[in-house]
Amino acid sequence: MPKIIAIHSFRGGTGKSNTTANLACLLARQGRRVGVVDTDIQSPGIHVLFNLDPKDTPHTLNDFLWGKCDIGRAVYDVSRVLGPEEREKLFLIPSSIRTGDIARVLHYGYDINLLKEGYRKAIEQFALDYLFIDTHPGLNEETLMSIAIADILLILLRPDQQDYQGTAVTVEVSRQLEVPRMFLIVNKVPAALPGDALAAKVTAAYACDVAGVLPHADEMMALGSSGLFCLTHPDAVLSRILEDILRRITA
Amino acid sequence: MNPGAKKILLAGLAFAAVYGLLNNLSNIFLLPSAPIISLRPQIALPMAVGILVHPLAGFITGLAGNVIGDAISGFGAFKFWNWHIANGLMGFIPGLAVYRYIHRIDTVRAFGLLQGGIVLACAAGVGAAVVLDVLFIHLLTFPASFPSWILPAFLTDAVNGFILVPVILLLARRIRLTLETRTILMITGLLVVSILATAGAITWAVLDDLVSHSAMVENFYIAAVVSVLLLVAGFIAAIVFVRKVTDPLAGLARAAQAVEQGDYDLPGLAGVSARTDELGRLARIFEQMAGKVRERERTLQRQVDELKIIIDREKQAQDVSEIVETEYFRTLKDKARKFRER
Ligand SMILES: Nc1ncnc2c1ncn2[C@@H]1O[C@H](COP(=O)(O)OP(=O)(O)OP(=O)(O)O)[C@@H](O)[C@H]1O
Ligand SMILES: [Mg+2]
Repeated sequence: MPKIIAIHSFRGGTGKSNTTANLACLLARQGRRVGVVDTDIQSPGIHVLFNLDPKDTPHTLNDFLWGKCDIGRAVYDVSRVLGPEEREKLFLIPSSIRTGDIARVLHYGYDINLLKEGYRKAIEQFALDYLFIDTHPGLNEETLMSIAIADILLILLRPDQQDYQGTAVTVEVSRQLEVPRMFLIVNKVPAALPGDALAAKVTAAYACDVAGVLPHADEMMALGSSGLFCLTHPDAVLSRILEDILRRITA
Repeated sequence: MNPGAKKILLAGLAFAAVYGLLNNLSNIFLLPSAPIISLRPQIALPMAVGILVHPLAGFITGLAGNVIGDAISGFGAFKFWNWHIANGLMGFIPGLAVYRYIHRIDTVRAFGLLQGGIVLACAAGVGAAVVLDVLFIHLLTFPASFPSWILPAFLTDAVNGFILVPVILLLARRIRLTLETRTILMITGLLVVSILATAGAITWAVLDDLVSHSAMVENFYIAAVVSVLLLVAGFIAAIVFVRKVTDPLAGLARAAQAVEQGDYDLPGLAGVSARTDELGRLARIFEQMAGKVRERERTLQRQVDELKIIIDREKQAQDVSEIVETEYFRTLKDKARKFRER
């Protein structure tokens, strides 16, 4: 059964896009066929991590949502990030970065059934094992849709008082949406903090499993979304924890 | 390593055959200066077997080997049976010391015990032979036999074992090369070479001046006894010296291991840090370092303890209800439920 994995966080800048891209990349390297959808219509960004130039993407999620094209035409093979010879392993459905396109979707909205149907078709057409959904932060109509569609929901938060309250609301709303499986991921944790102790505290506070505690990594900062950390630093602690997270959520 | 009885017996007998042949050889080539004693480097064999295989295998090698040696040398297989027992003990005791008390030879202490065990084995073996002679055989006469038989037997076996057993154990890799064993081996080696060379040179130099055979023998004994005394004194001094240097290092290593396992109380280091030399300085710096690590660890622990995830439950409930009570949310939930059921 193909699985849809949504990554969400209440606040912005928690590392959703980077975490999504790295998890997708690690899964693809394990031989799975993996798709990524950028549903952050307001501020798309994950295409940068996959080295996909918007000039080369004539069709986007936006075009599909307002019926201008089939979902299949908005799917791009980005397997090249895994290696120059790689094909048909990793796919991206980007959002348009043109302000007109953005405004239009935001204004008219879209229907969850249409989106779900699009995902179903894309999964079928490209024989995907996993489809990752990168989202806009916060709880708006679009992000609620992504949460509602997900088989597995990953909620990111930083060890920061500003993230705690909103995360509590997100967890509760997601529960009411009856998401089958939900995990928390703590990101940007000071490397010196013991991850186990932190995970225990978070688990207790939200009554929700913690899939992993990701340390803040200067190398990740330095990369500045210009590449995939798990490829440039395969042996770093962060990469190993990302692999643990995958094991846990796909178990 | 715990070989079975059969293996012990077989190894003991096989090495006994070798030991017997070597004994026969050395009985043919007696020392020119002292016709009664023979220089017996092969005594290292039962000792090494006792250490490397099993104490009992060493005992068998010594005992049966001596029977074989005496038999083919024409002394009669069991005439000097007290010396068979002596040889058995010399094979048994060093192995016993290593088996029971040392296990791994990787410290000065272990090496000292090994060498002590060898000397003790020779003393015990010769002592047993003497006692058995006095009780049953009545071949020795006192005090005449003391310098002509008892002392040479003890000295030659002790010196040969002392020098050769470590060499065999080194070749067999039973002595692990650590800072401690390297140092003590080097000093012991230097000691042995210099003392033997000096004693040999003196004996050689005065050889021509000696008029009578008895004077020559007497001279030889004096040289031998002095050499052995020097060797013993030098070895003890070397052990004390090496331990003075390596004990603090071992203490530092243990302290580092303790810190690695999160134990920052280093009572074992107090003695070292009180020293005024380089090692003392190293220990003091180490203590300061451990203190800082402990401090940092405590701060971190405090940070985790203080890390409170404060959630305003009332506000949470309010925010949640604002979302879930909208028409949009209800429809969304219905739709989601429907396609999940499919
Ligand atoms: N573990 C980490 N260590 C250091 N820097 C990180 C880590 N995770 C993410 N970052 C950095 O944080 C920044 C934001 O990351 P990212 O764009 O993935 O977050 P986002 O949640 O997708 O943001 P947005 O809400 O704007 O979409 C990036 O510069 C990224 O390099
Ligand atoms: Mg993003």
